[in-house]
Amino acid sequence: MAQCVQSVQELIQDSFVPKVAVLCSEDAQKITRKNNLNFSELLRPFCRLTSEGHMRDSNNQVQVVKNLRISVNNVVTRPSVPTSGVHSPAQRRLLSEVVSASQPAEGGVANVITAGDYDLNISDRSVKASVPWYSDWRDTLTELSTSKHYTATTPWFEAYRESFLQSMPASDHEFLNHYLACLLVVSSSEAVPVEQFLKLSQEQHMIQHNGEYTNPKWFIPNTLKYYVLLHDMSQGDEQRADSVYEDMKQRYGSQGCYLLKINSRTAAAGTDEQIPDPWSQYLNKSSLQSQVRRDFVPLPHTNLLQILQVSGLSLDNTHPLQLETAIDMPGSLDCLRAVATETKTTTVYTGVAAGTSHGACLTLNDHNRLRLFIQEFTFRGLLPHIEKNIRQLNDQLVSRKGLSRSLFSVTKKLFGGGKVPEKSIAELKNTSGLLYHPEAPELQIRKMADLCFLVQHYELAYSCYHTAKKDFLSDQAMLYAAGALEMAAVSAFLQGGAQRPYPAHYMDTAIQTYRDVCKNKVLAERCALFSAEVLKSQAKYSDAATLLIKMTSEDSDLCSALLLEQAAHCFINMRNPMVRKFAFHMILAGHRFSKAGQKRHALRCYCQAMQVYKGKGWSLAEDHINFTIGRQSFTLRQPENAVLAFRHILTNDSQQTATQQGAFLREYLYVYRGAFLRESHTVALPQLPLPCINSSATRVYFGHERRLAEGEKQAATHVSLDQEFDQDLAAVWQDLEEQVVAAANRGVVPSTFYPTQCCLNSQTDNLHFPLAVVEEPIIVEVAFRNPLKVPLVLSDLSLLWKFTLKDFSRPQPQDVMVGDAVTITNEKEARLKLLPRQTGQLTILGLVYNLASTPSTGDSTINSNSPSVRGRQDLEIQGPRLNQTKEEKTSVSHGPDRRLDPTITPPMPLLEVFFLQFPTALLCGEIRKAYVEFCNVSHVPLCGLRVASTHPDFFTFGSSSLATPLTPLSPTSFENCSAYKTLATPPGATPGSVTAVTLVSAADFGSGGGGVFGTGGKRVAEIPLGEGTLTPGESTQLPLWLRGPDQEGVHEINFLFYYEGAEKGGKISHRVLRHTVFICASRSLSVRATACRSNTLPEEEGRNGSMLVFVDVENINTSEAGVREFHIAQVSSSSKQWRLHKCINPAENKDCKLTTRERGKLCFRATRSTSKSLEKYTFADLSLGNEQIISSTTPCADFFFRRCQSSESWRPLIAVETQGRHSRSQGAGPGGGAEDITGVVRKCNEVDLDIIVLWKAFVVEDNKQVILEGQLHVALQTIGKEACSLRQKEEAQEMVLLKFKPELPPPMTRPSMEQLSHLIKTNLHYPESYSHSFVQKSLCMIPVILTLSNCSLAQVDAIIDLRHKTTSPESLEVHGSFTWLGKTQYKLQLRAQEVMRLPLRAGFLHAGVYNLGTPRVFAKLADQGAMCETSQQTATPALIIINST
Amino acid sequence: MAVCIAVIAKENYPLYIRSVPIQNELKFHYTVHTSLDVVEEKISAVGKAMADQRELYLGLLYPTEDYKVYGCVTNSKVKFVIVADSSNTSLRDNEIRSMFRKLHNSFTDVMCNPFYNPGDTIQSKAFDSMVSAMMVQAS
Repeated sequence: MAQCVQSVQELIQDSFVPKVAVLCSEDAQKITRKNNLNFSELLRPFCRLTSEGHMRDSNNQVQVVKNLRISVNNVVTRPSVPTSGVHSPAQRRLLSEVVSASQPAEGGVANVITAGDYDLNISDRSVKASVPWYSDWRDTLTELSTSKHYTATTPWFEAYRESFLQSMPASDHEFLNHYLACLLVVSSSEAVPVEQFLKLSQEQHMIQHNGEYTNPKWFIPNTLKYYVLLHDMSQGDEQRADSVYEDMKQRYGSQGCYLLKINSRTAAAGTDEQIPDPWSQYLNKSSLQSQVRRDFVPLPHTNLLQILQVSGLSLDNTHPLQLETAIDMPGSLDCLRAVATETKTTTVYTGVAAGTSHGACLTLNDHNRLRLFIQEFTFRGLLPHIEKNIRQLNDQLVSRKGLSRSLFSVTKKLFGGGKVPEKSIAELKNTSGLLYHPEAPELQIRKMADLCFLVQHYELAYSCYHTAKKDFLSDQAMLYAAGALEMAAVSAFLQGGAQRPYPAHYMDTAIQTYRDVCKNKVLAERCALFSAEVLKSQAKYSDAATLLIKMTSEDSDLCSALLLEQAAHCFINMRNPMVRKFAFHMILAGHRFSKAGQKRHALRCYCQAMQVYKGKGWSLAEDHINFTIGRQSFTLRQPENAVLAFRHILTNDSQQTATQQGAFLREYLYVYRGAFLRESHTVALPQLPLPCINSSATRVYFGHERRLAEGEKQAATHVSLDQEFDQDLAAVWQDLEEQVVAAANRGVVPSTFYPTQCCLNSQTDNLHFPLAVVEEPIIVEVAFRNPLKVPLVLSDLSLLWKFTLKDFSRPQPQDVMVGDAVTITNEKEARLKLLPRQTGQLTILGLVYNLASTPSTGDSTINSNSPSVRGRQDLEIQGPRLNQTKEEKTSVSHGPDRRLDPTITPPMPLLEVFFLQFPTALLCGEIRKAYVEFCNVSHVPLCGLRVASTHPDFFTFGSSSLATPLTPLSPTSFENCSAYKTLATPPGATPGSVTAVTLVSAADFGSGGGGVFGTGGKRVAEIPLGEGTLTPGESTQLPLWLRGPDQEGVHEINFLFYYEGAEKGGKISHRVLRHTVFICASRSLSVRATACRSNTLPEEEGRNGSMLVFVDVENINTSEAGVREFHIAQVSSSSKQWRLHKCINPAENKDCKLTTRERGKLCFRATRSTSKSLEKYTFADLSLGNEQIISSTTPCADFFFRRCQSSESWRPLIAVETQGRHSRSQGAGPGGGAEDITGVVRKCNEVDLDIIVLWKAFVVEDNKQVILEGQLHVALQTIGKEACSLRQKEEAQEMVLLKFKPELPPPMTRPSMEQLSHLIKTNLHYPESYSHSFVQKSLCMIPVILTLSNCSLAQVDAIIDLRHKTTSPESLEVHGSFTWLGKTQYKLQLRAQEVMRLPLRAGFLHAGVYNLGTPRVFAKLADQGAMCETSQQTATPALIIINST
Repeated sequence: MAVCIAVIAKENYPLYIRSVPIQNELKFHYTVHTSLDVVEEKISAVGKAMADQRELYLGLLYPTEDYKVYGCVTNSKVKFVIVADSSNTSLRDNEIRSMFRKLHNSFTDVMCNPFYNPGDTIQSKAFDSMVSAMMVQAS
């Protein structure tokens, strides 16, 4: 609430004080003028009496008059404002000046009212506090909580009220501000002072009784005249003055005159003596202002100054409100006002030049004299005069009482009850016009009441007012009645105590009457002001507020604004503070203030209301307030505040329409420009609120932007800003990098290893300072978001950065690339480039740009007249939330993010990789040759080039040790040339026979041939550069063979090129370059192969080692690729033990041709290789065409070995399992025989033969036939088991059920029956046909040799049973079976790999065809007693033809 | 018929506010916001003990020159405010009550929506159409 300096009682008392007129002779005026004051001004500071006065009322009871104040004014005869009930323009102007001059003191103690959820800062400081109202708020609160001062004052309201009350024109219906007495002042220097007194007295009499002047109204006909002789101590003759005074005493009586001596200080007497200046506070503001004007008007305006002084002379004695001189000083007025406000805040009026200080000729003694004079005048002159008059009036009234009563009753009788209302209506129409004569008897009681009121005899006053009210009402004199009602209520209130309850309804009636009936707004307002104060003092805030709001009107904005503000304060002071009503009425008040031109007050109101609306979700209202605050601040030349306020409208996710937003934006830009254009550019650029920058989405890229393709060359993809970040992919790359780093560091990843990150974003690890290389650009991508519905235009974007030198080199500036204009409608990124020129620590702080709105006309060109402003925004990136320790979990703390703080390091080599003739689609297994170009684009040599890949079997660089000069190094000679190294088949050689057998050590392809497979990761390969380094600017082309993946589909293949600088020990140990290719593999051939034992006699081909290999080749190509046919060009084998020997196909078509969906079968014999070297692989080529491909050389063998490695890598799980089992069984005890059997048995079935099928595909491409080549690998591992070139799907493994119990170890496996049945290979050796003359000899006996060869490496017991199986149905079928002669059962023991021949004889009785394959062979391992023999696989039918001759 | 209907959260921020489009929207925002003071006053006047038996309908909050503001508070302290034109004399207390009942039911439906996050502004179409049915049709 507006806490007033005065209490209500004081306020009312001071509003109605005895008024005293002053008539001054010219000489006397001269004397006072010395002090820059006129006589009434001179007295003003001393008009409050400090001592108590006494007077007797009509009942002769002593009444104490306390704290009385009198008002001394010069007589002004000019007619004042007509009592029309409305303020004149001049009055209005003055009132508004008073209000605007009274501004809240800056830095005053603020007051916080806590109302519900709201803490309101309703302070005088609120204008200031509102500036940073989010940041400063807390400080203000804490400061306030400690402070003890809880007063919210609205001094402008008090000033207004004071001015308003003082300016009340004297009205006929009340006498309170009529003059009670007149001081006649004459100087002692006058020739005949007494004459002068007479003259003045006559003048007064003339003014009062002539009827010419209506204006100074006089209370009583015989006004008290008090004669004052003014004596100037500095000039006059004191004795003469005394004698004149003596004379006066005789004439006017000692109580009617006074000798006042002033100006006792001589001009020479030190001006340094400090005399308090009481006038500065008492002289009212407007006159003070005019004083200021006098001081500050520059010299050329002297005439104006004179005018002013003249007006001061003639009018200063009146109330300043009536000052109607048209003082028009455009231009200077503003600054003067500013000065005025300034001086006001420094309450002591010292800022004014010495010449204008008041009372310069007065000493403290003179002050005392003045004080004494007033006291004397009041107690001796005025009070007795009033006392006398009260008595007189009282007597009159008493005598009249009976009469009036009887009159009243007579009227009542005459007109009767029913007629009264009729009369009242008739009267009502002209009540405002009803005027009593000033001396009318009806007014006597009112006069008496007023007198009593003035001398604080409230009890009597009340009863008089009450009586008067009744009389006036009965007369239907509404104005008089309202006045009496008002004063009755006031005096009842002032009476205090519990004697009489305050009659609030009196006030209400009075206000209503004033306003509605009398149409006197001014009086109504005065009455309302009193009423509100009284209500407030009684804590009836709600009523007060209602009253105040009711008083607002369209007429006066200023008055309405003030009243609304007071009402708002009432709301907040209620027992349950109504904060929102407060805020709303503050807004209304602010609105009215702004209409009244009180911008500062308007701004203050809005700011206070803002506290309620702020951040509560009432965005529409908030926006409106912010907008208004912005505008007001701007007009008040507080552009910073304006900008801040506008910021809030724009940064909020506003719900305004697009056009509204556009308007806001334009306004903001305008204000912003206005605010900052004036300031010099040395000031740091201000922050702009728009567009929003998503700091965490900022991406930083180190390095050049890559060209992706250059003619035929295809550059390595590396990393670019256009790629989305993929966590999984990043992990893959990091893994690859780790592997390659390990390979480069002899298998150990150094502890300082930190994966290279070229592009930093929110998901990467940003804990380390990123490393950037000097002379290589840093690209920062900033993500903007436009929260508005209107597009924004940004231009001249550039980065703000800070650079600290760390190393020492010549300082050079950094280049900042500037982006073009960007129009942001919704979300957009901008990329800004920074090129470091020297090493050190760089910090990217933010960015600077021009912001503009698009012109509303809609054309997209940015024309110059659309306002654009320059500002900055900081990039502050918060790291990820920490969540490791308990403290971090319980609090919210964020880690650092050093994305924008790169360290610039010395130059590093920079590699660029280009691919030539790199295919995008391949057939499965297709071999293609491509070229890769390595290019060092830096100024530093490069070495240690390595590559790691996720698919190491996809490519090879060839083996350096076998580097073949045959392969053309330049791609131009590539035309139609096979990727393979070939030899023409010798013309004599039969196709399908072995033409070449080569022994190759795996190490050749292992270490030399493209990989450090043994050392570190299997996926890392060293790239054979010429000298191992690339000098700056050098580029090398290397051939690269690719083999289509075995699996069809699209394969993503990642290459990671690793390289180092020649100098070690830099901050960056190595650099990497990424490349990703996508290869679409389509199906080609499917190769299945099985091996089985050949039943031919071992003698034929070497020792015991003969095997048949069946290769099924199927064309599974779907013809989309345009593949016409496949040719099997060659089948090669590679094994440590076996080799293909020859093709035993019925090879009619020597070139095995396969068209779509065709299937071919090839049959080969394999023999054990003769090589003793276990480590070397034997490559055997069986060419089916007319040229032999040397499979043991670069592309073919490379891919073979790579496949081996990759397939090995598929196996480790099984290996571990068997090993584990092995160790377990060993641990179980010595009886681990079973394991041995298994091993032995498995061994005997094992083959380790890899078949390489080399094919050619004839493809029609663009009407041209192209021959593609390829190779497929099949690894044969077990006899009888089919192997396939396509890797078996691993689905079965992937879909394994989850088991939560540990699996029981599988029971000790015995070798299966199937496996055991392969222990012994049998062979029957006999003549194919035999002629026998059964006529001659009925029994034909033929010797048959049964060859038993032990396949295993253990001793085997074998049982041969020659008996025919009787149960066998086929034996019955055979007509006339043969019989084995001799022993029917043999027991034999075969040593490891022993071949035993068992001569048998068979007897035939008839001619015919017989199957000799009946012997059944059972075998068991010799040392396994517990096992029973297993029937061995029967040999194929052995047919014999017995011819009869 | 109403000219403005608002739903205000327990914490006194608007969940939903809609007014007749031709009128000054800002004015209604201010009016509704200010009426919250009266709502709070009325709630607190009932007292703690009686809070359970308190009637949801608060009646006329305050009349302004042009409008009448009616209020209603749910048990969860969500406030409904209906602003009606003062000139519309045909509007009886009973009708206002039924409007509030409808509003409450519809609001309950919104709250029952599992995809609605309590405390968010209401964007339900069903609620919107129900509110528009209660509004004065802007011609």
